[in-house]
Amino acid sequence: MLTSAAVQINVELPESDSKTVAPTDIAVMMTKDGRVTFNGRAARLNQIKRLIQKDLPGQTNVQNATVTIIAEVGVPWKKVNEVMKIASELRLKAIIATQPSK
Amino acid sequence: MGLKKRSKVSAEFSMSSLTDIIFLLLIFFMLTSSMIVPNALNLKLPGKSNANPPPTNTKPNIVKIAPKGTYYLNGSQIKRSSLEQEVRKLKKADSKLAIIISPDEETPNEYVVAIMDIAYRYGVDAILTDPK
Repeated sequence: MLTSAAVQINVELPESDSKTVAPTDIAVMMTKDGRVTFNGRAARLNQIKRLIQKDLPGQTNVQNATVTIIAEVGVPWKKVNEVMKIASELRLKAIIATQPSK
Repeated sequence: MGLKKRSKVSAEFSMSSLTDIIFLLLIFFMLTSSMIVPNALNLKLPGKSNANPPPTNTKPNIVKIAPKGTYYLNGSQIKRSSLEQEVRKLKKADSKLAIIISPDEETPNEYVVAIMDIAYRYGVDAILTDPK
């Protein structure tokens, strides 16, 4: 209950049939209007790398730390790409959050 | 005076009704919390040692996605439903099928995820290109 409430997602996500549950330890959320939040706190896209780096030692599972990209429907791909690049540079895994198709 | 108390309030505390409510709440929150957690598509980024190298023996099928969300398979425009049929056909013919997803910078991400989803459903390797 507590952990699921930590990251609140109230945006519309792209749909997929995937049943993998997204981890929410490192969550980068992007909305259509250009706002970026990192683990619920407002941030800018160019700060994300630093914020993740700062957050990494506190992770319980550093080996398998996964960046969850929560991109609202309508966010241009280059922004998602940007976050993927950051995850790749930090040698982290990345996962893109979706919602079940209606 | 002959007045007597009509009803006596029971001072006993009933545990069973309490546990009833607690269990109900527990089930309620379990169900609602699973709805909050989103599903996700796994990405394999380059440089991670445990990522499988993409297969190179097959002819690549390039899916281009225009900013407006129109799909192009190997250069010709295609609808999403026909693209899915095409992927299924190609997968049947070649079990090691790989598709290259090449989105435009400005393409909304749901169109890209839609293709990733098709690839995921049919067990096709999908390779993303950097739009830049």
